[in-house]
Amino acid sequence: MNPEPFLQLDRVIHEKGRLGIMSLLAASPQLAFTELRDTLNMTDGNITAHLRTLQESGYVAVTKSFQSGRPLTTFALTAQGRKAFATYIDLLEQIVQQSKGEK
Amino acid sequence: MEPGWASEHLQVIRTLMERAAVYRRALAPTTLVTGGIGAAAALIGWFMRIESPRGFGLFWIAVSVVAVCGAFWAVRSQALKDQEPFWSPPMRRVTQALLPPLVAGLVAALLVVLPEGAPPARVWWLPPIWMVLYGCALHAAGFFMARGIKLFGWGFMVLGCACAVAVSLRLDADGLPALRNAHWLMGATFGGLHLAYGAYLYLTEKRKNAA
Repeated sequence: MNPEPFLQLDRVIHEKGRLGIMSLLAASPQLAFTELRDTLNMTDGNITAHLRTLQESGYVAVTKSFQSGRPLTTFALTAQGRKAFATYIDLLEQIVQQSKGEK
Repeated sequence: MEPGWASEHLQVIRTLMERAAVYRRALAPTTLVTGGIGAAAALIGWFMRIESPRGFGLFWIAVSVVAVCGAFWAVRSQALKDQEPFWSPPMRRVTQALLPPLVAGLVAALLVVLPEGAPPARVWWLPPIWMVLYGCALHAAGFFMARGIKLFGWGFMVLGCACAVAVSLRLDADGLPALRNAHWLMGATFGGLHLAYGAYLYLTEKRKNAA
């Protein structure tokens, strides 16, 4: 098996929690903190840590606003994040094809 | 590493992406508000003797506008409570799915009640038409929602068809009852069914949250 695609996998996205966040954000223009947390069944601390890592990598952008006087924090994929996610999916598909070819 | 891990990863991604598109706000408050408005309107219609064809049609159009506003208010309250956007992408998708049959119902109602001197027999067709169209709206929205909304939509469609058959049979036989009785039909379906489904959702959502 050619290890090349596996070695190219983005380690930031590959982690289970961050992969969940990236997948949800890829399917929606933006999601609130609570929507991400509840859908992924994660704790506040855990999801905050993952979101910070994704932000530092430039994959996720945060918007803070107010809705009827209450703070609202929403997250969205950046163009860089969208591209990295697409590349990650391509590599996964290559790995799947390779393993099918070997059978 | 296991050979199937990449496929499993892709499956997880697919599932999560689908989940992001699903409307997941609690449906019990919305259903109970809609049902309460429907049941109260039926009582008002009956006791206020709204029985002219035009009065009946316009009254229920107004009730449906109030019910839609009530449903949006219930959704907005939840969004505020959960600190989430009200006009979220799933909310948009659900609204877009609901809209065409609801607009068709409004147009049908206006076509029936606006002409001067519409006979009551013609107006008796409105409840079954509304039930079928409302069922279609729920069924379409059910593609973006969980919790048996599609089945609820089917219930309305089947009931609407059954009512249409009953109206047709009564029309051929001994004529239809006074239009005032149609308020009971509207109250039982748009009020009673919503309240029953809302109560079921309320109990099961509560149990699910407690688990």
